[in-house]
Amino acid sequence: MKNRMNRFCITIVIFWSCIVAIDPALSQDEKKSIDINTTWLKLQTVPNITWTSFPHQTNFAFEWEIAPVIYSFGMAKRNQQLHFFKVTQTERFSGSIEFNTTLQLFMSKAGRSHWGFSGQLLAHLPLIEYGENLGMNLGVARYSNSIITSNYIIAGFSTLFGFFHYNIKYSPSASIWMHSIEFRFF
Amino acid sequence: MKTLSFNKYTKKNFLLFLIIHLSLYITGCNPLLSRFLEKAFEETGEIEKVENKIKKPIFEDVELSILWIGHSSFLIQIGDKVFLTDPIFTNSIGMILKRKVEAGLCPSAIDRLDYVLISHPHFDHLSYGSLKNIPKAAKILLPKGGLRYMPNLGFSDYKEILPWTSLNIGGVKITAVPVKHFNGRYGFDNGWLKYDTYTGYVIEYQNKKIFFAGDTGYDAEKFKELGEKFRIDIALIPIAPIEPRDFMKRVHTDPQEALQIFYDTQATIMIPTHHRTFIQGLDSTLTYAEDKLRKLSAENGVEDRVLILKIGEQRIINLEKYKDIITGR
Repeated sequence: MKNRMNRFCITIVIFWSCIVAIDPALSQDEKKSIDINTTWLKLQTVPNITWTSFPHQTNFAFEWEIAPVIYSFGMAKRNQQLHFFKVTQTERFSGSIEFNTTLQLFMSKAGRSHWGFSGQLLAHLPLIEYGENLGMNLGVARYSNSIITSNYIIAGFSTLFGFFHYNIKYSPSASIWMHSIEFRFF
Repeated sequence: MKTLSFNKYTKKNFLLFLIIHLSLYITGCNPLLSRFLEKAFEETGEIEKVENKIKKPIFEDVELSILWIGHSSFLIQIGDKVFLTDPIFTNSIGMILKRKVEAGLCPSAIDRLDYVLISHPHFDHLSYGSLKNIPKAAKILLPKGGLRYMPNLGFSDYKEILPWTSLNIGGVKITAVPVKHFNGRYGFDNGWLKYDTYTGYVIEYQNKKIFFAGDTGYDAEKFKELGEKFRIDIALIPIAPIEPRDFMKRVHTDPQEALQIFYDTQATIMIPTHHRTFIQGLDSTLTYAEDKLRKLSAENGVEDRVLILKIGEQRIINLEKYKDIITGR
């Protein structure tokens, strides 16, 4: 039953991701009539892929992320510095501070539930090629799932234009270390 | 020390999800992307050297000179003004695609620069690593919306231009002109940008008009309109990637279509761009597009007006010389 449920979830997510991903493949002239807000919203439904090690288990999860506010400080002059929701990878990884919230769907239960939530304040600092080749992530977060709800310090790096992330999260109050590998699609 | 436990199911699923999800994501985005990547990874080996690179490419004063650095990068001098288009000096682009022939000019040889024209933010046209090493006194021109892909590189100024609008500074007029391509830089940003972040440019200075097409597919209406509005002297038009044609046709011209743009715009001279530098798409050889263009221009009797430059080659062009061979003007 558990396996069947998991397979069902995965099939739905993959199927949906494929439908949504067809949009960007169109050339611009074919897209003229498509509303950009609809396209952006649909793309946000494509989840990131994360793999998180908790103290007693390692869980694979789909993660939906939204960044209501981003302050970008590494861009050329004349650029807008504050962004709400919509942001390019350059604006994020050339140097920024973002507040984001995530919803995680774990494929194996994390404690009693499949769900997890987080709120994060993250700084992205560029190291190589304005963060496209290598960037550093530093921040604080509050993670909540049925295993534990706690505050964490985050440190890690991103590469491949921000698609790949490795982060270490530490909760000083609970003395818990978590590691996560994330494939993030924006 | 607490140990991590991987149950069999988690481990198996992780790998499965990773492989399926990533491959579907990539192929869903573009069914041919995996083949392109495969080809890019296949193409290894030494980068071909450019012998006798020009060390002083900028003249005290010259009527018109053009130096091909490779791909879409040209150093253009008209009189006392120096322009650089889509500069790529790095040995790879987008962390994956390796250069096959080295850049035909060292960026340090550019001691004076007035304008850098960026046609769009794709990796093979907007290279942060390449921009780092050129004179910062230059002004950077971008299509409207393109500034969102420009980190702080320290240039004197950045200007975004909408199609059919112009920038006039010190007697130089640069007009952004519409072309047919696609948006964004990273793939998924293609769908939600407010403006079309790609453009062509027409540079006008001292009665010379240069059309730089950037990257484009063929669109008769756009290029005929361009030909009606400007009396173009030199058209820099992309000729690759060609294959697979059904897919590339939407956003990339092949040599036949590039020649058609040359005719539509009624330009005096055509110089092919966007070829011979990287293996692109599924084109079989580095000179695949160039060979086709050479053959087609001979068949069409325009070989004396189609200048196929070598990487690193600089030409001083006397437009008067071409007046005799152009008819219909």
